[in-house]
Amino acid sequence: MTRDVAGIGLGLRYDLATELLERRPKSVAWLEIHPENYIDRGGRYQEMLELAREDWPVVTHGLSTCLGSVEPFDASYLKELGGFLKDLEVPWHSEHLCLGGADDRFFHDLLPLPFTEEAAQIASQRLTEVRDAIGVPLALENASYYAPQGPDGLAEADFVVEVLEKADAKLLLDVNNVYVNGRNFGFDPKAYMDRIPMERVVQIHVAGHFVRDDGLRIDTHGEPVPDDVYELLDYTLRKTGPVPVLLERDNNVPPLDELLSEVDDLWKIYRNATGADVAR
Amino acid sequence: MLADHAKAMQRVCFGAEPSKADLELLGSRERWLVYRDLVRTRLSNVIGVALARTKSAIGDEAFSRAIDEWLATGSPRTRYLRYVPSELAEFAIPIWQRTEAPWVADLAGYEIAAWEVRHAPRNPTPSAEFAFDSKPVLAAGVKVLRLAYPVQNEPTPNTGYAPDPTILCLYRDKNHRTIPRKLNPLAADLLEAWRAADQTVAESVQQVAAAHHAQITPVFIEKLSTLIADSIQRGILLGGHSPPS
Ligand SMILES: [Fe+2]
Repeated sequence: MTRDVAGIGLGLRYDLATELLERRPKSVAWLEIHPENYIDRGGRYQEMLELAREDWPVVTHGLSTCLGSVEPFDASYLKELGGFLKDLEVPWHSEHLCLGGADDRFFHDLLPLPFTEEAAQIASQRLTEVRDAIGVPLALENASYYAPQGPDGLAEADFVVEVLEKADAKLLLDVNNVYVNGRNFGFDPKAYMDRIPMERVVQIHVAGHFVRDDGLRIDTHGEPVPDDVYELLDYTLRKTGPVPVLLERDNNVPPLDELLSEVDDLWKIYRNATGADVAR
Repeated sequence: MLADHAKAMQRVCFGAEPSKADLELLGSRERWLVYRDLVRTRLSNVIGVALARTKSAIGDEAFSRAIDEWLATGSPRTRYLRYVPSELAEFAIPIWQRTEAPWVADLAGYEIAAWEVRHAPRNPTPSAEFAFDSKPVLAAGVKVLRLAYPVQNEPTPNTGYAPDPTILCLYRDKNHRTIPRKLNPLAADLLEAWRAADQTVAESVQQVAAAHHAQITPVFIEKLSTLIADSIQRGILLGGHSPPS
């Protein structure tokens, strides 16, 4: 049976797993994992996932099936992914709206798609292809990017909406990515949110980012969530209603208590903005 | 065209030197150099963790050069970040064999094998207890490594390693670490036969003993029992496959 994914979740990462799985804090309502880190892998990762599932529902967030791929995806991997997701009983799976490789090679990073009709067409096709293959609802995630891809920053919102509508898809709305892009490309993140069809949002990401000396913001998931991102989350949750929110922390992982105090802050915003009274 | 963009990104991120034409096609030279740096740093980091001792043995410069040359051949073929170091090692070890001290290739081979054992798939589930008349079931990722230099001995001596042929079994222990266990040539052949799992234990023992001109005496059987008991206790040998009835 699928367990409810609601309220505030945390990304299950190797660096924080030991403490998280020992203490099992009640304030963390669910966990997110990257399937590529667990598929066909034993050892500590297998153990982490088994221990995590004793208490928490799990949602998956892919790294390698980036939806802007020019070439169709590897069918055998999609089959393997589908089987993995079925075993985990995930309510949905998500992948990034970006480019992750070319010619069967992988960048291991999220490279930007130009905001063109062609890219929207390809991404919506790929999205449908993946969704059909895995047999689980699929959400796309808006990405952060550093090199201009359209006439202005807000063109990204129109691009995201176009793909969502073409594929009739769900959205994993990354609030930090919108904020980072807004600062890097000089647009109002709230204006971006106003263009998003909020009924499609199934999950939200928040994270911190790194500000370089030259002012460029890099989406490192390696810093605490800044106040501006909390504020944008509040603005967004008032539009979406009680959509589950995940705190992403992948690098520079602090002691668990520091992350839990961010989780507490997120609960306050979540309850305030949505009026929801979700408990684990 | 998106396909042209994707290929230009690939060349900008992985090529020895990003071309002016590609940077112009993508726009914003400075920002695409940021991407080049981000992409290469992530891959170099995971490779540096997997091959930490090799990196410090040959120095940062030679190590980075090998990564640069490998990246220039395209980019990783694997979607799994944990397999990236293996792809680099496949490319770089033959180069290091020619350019570095004679033991460096062994060290890199040992480190990458240990990394692969640690990240190996889940263990298979045996359908029966270990028995001489059934095919054995080994833990996932168990490797037998034949080395000319004892590079498993840490720390790496300042003067490097002197030749000392060594056979190791690498396996993942209960705490998920890779452990090296020394083997004699006969035990190594036995373990490899068990890993192939196409013969019963009794058949593989007879074949390997014959190949080593070893008589199956009480002393041989005692040593064999010790090897089996030790392998079970370490979690190398998990059990057997019940023969089809
Ligand atoms: Fe995200």
